[in-house]
Amino acid sequence: MVRRARRTVKVPTEADFPSRLRSAAVTARVGMWLGICFTICFATGLISHYAQNHSQPIPFPTSPSWGYRVTQGLHIITGTASVPLLLVKLWTVYPRLFVRPPKGARRLLLTGLERGSIAVLVAGAVFLLASGLANSSQWYPWAFSFRATHYAVAWITIGALLVHIAVKLPIIRGALSSDVEDTTYDRPTATRPGVLSRRGLLRTTWVAAGVAVLATAGSTVPILRKVSVFGVRSGDGPAGIPINKSAAAAKVAPAALSGDYRFSVAYGEEERSFSRDELLAMEQRTETLPIACVEGWSASGTWSGVRVRDLLDLVGVPSGSDVLVVSLQESGPYRETILQGNFADDDRTLLALALEGEPLALDHGYPARLIAPNRPGVLQTKWVTRLEVSA
Amino acid sequence: MRAQLTRAGIGAVGVVVGLFGAWFLLTRQDLDQLTSAATWLVVGVVLHDGVLAGATLLLAAIALRLLPRASRAPAAVGFVVLGSVTLLAVPVLGRFGERPDNATLLDRDYPAGWLVLALLTVAAVIVASVWRSRRATRRRSLR
Repeated sequence: MVRRARRTVKVPTEADFPSRLRSAAVTARVGMWLGICFTICFATGLISHYAQNHSQPIPFPTSPSWGYRVTQGLHIITGTASVPLLLVKLWTVYPRLFVRPPKGARRLLLTGLERGSIAVLVAGAVFLLASGLANSSQWYPWAFSFRATHYAVAWITIGALLVHIAVKLPIIRGALSSDVEDTTYDRPTATRPGVLSRRGLLRTTWVAAGVAVLATAGSTVPILRKVSVFGVRSGDGPAGIPINKSAAAAKVAPAALSGDYRFSVAYGEEERSFSRDELLAMEQRTETLPIACVEGWSASGTWSGVRVRDLLDLVGVPSGSDVLVVSLQESGPYRETILQGNFADDDRTLLALALEGEPLALDHGYPARLIAPNRPGVLQTKWVTRLEVSA
Repeated sequence: MRAQLTRAGIGAVGVVVGLFGAWFLLTRQDLDQLTSAATWLVVGVVLHDGVLAGATLLLAAIALRLLPRASRAPAAVGFVVLGSVTLLAVPVLGRFGERPDNATLLDRDYPAGWLVLALLTVAAVIVASVWRSRRATRRRSLR
């Protein structure tokens, strides 16, 4: 009895995990796909971060209009697929958590550094996936700034990943170039057959990643809407487009519905002002453009309204000027946004008044909203009341 | 020698990239926000290494005792698929981000979707178990 009790409280050692599934041959294969997913996530994340910057030394392109829809969709899809990949990968290396530290100061220091880099990698990876998933469902149970922290931790994690690859490169190369059943890189004690074969575990992991994608990607890939049982949005909403921030949440309804609404465009001292009816009396253009949210959902709509360049021409704004877009919202980080010169000059950029042939719904930005090609949804400002360029 | 240089190069780039991230993290937010970020970073590892990994070991040990031989592999496959997908669906299953003013957000019956996925998984595990058990019986009778 006493012996059993003592056994249960003992800290496990590596030898307590005898399954031959927990092998570097499996780790390297799952790790390679996890590395590919993290790389795509990082690259698309950098694109999204840059697209939201006020200052863009290299102008963010306006074409293709669906570019941001694809990159941000990929960001969420590869992040979601990474969840099963990361869980299986960590499962295969879990015994290494219990390796006893080596003797000798130099070896202890090297091992400490290596394990430190792995701690950073695991903490960063878990943090990025958890905070990203929570954010995509608009759940913010934390006090930090999501955008700054997710961005910073992404750099830290990719850095730790590169260090990890550098340390493990000989094993990664060796494991990937030999058969998955090869035991060269196995721990000596890991010899017990698992309930699955190694190939079986790998196939299971790919299936889990595939199911994860199918169950969520319908928020951005319309043909998957029916099967995406965990999609954050089904794609429904006024005129067939979902809403990110409602008029109630932005506290704009009284101002937006008031008969006193005026839209103005100003260039220095030069200023023109219009009612919504006067805007409707101007030449109307129709463009099919996606609305693609940072949170990963997207939908394509057919918008009509006045071309922004036509409005800027009325007050003589020179081409290439950055435009300050002012919303009726009384507060919030997106009350005022910058529409970069190349977006303002693009023929497809509209001050939209209608969506799918219906007057804009209040939640879509009535009386007027901005819609531009290839732009993050948060910058497609709703309830627009003023465009302003300083002379 | 060249391989060593490649490794050192990748490692050095990694350190620089990571340090840039650390600098960015530490210079953009106040102390309260940083404490919150640090807490989340640590809690993630502790929850995985302590709770999730432990629970998986326990579940595997129980399943090995209870399940017939033919069901073990199918059950392991079902657990990896359903377990990992359930974990990533926690934010939508809990509807934590739900807002009364926005009906287009979280506009599905997520528990019903989970139930369908769980039933499909369990059905697949049962079918595979029966098939494996019959195949094993046939092999034994052939011997």
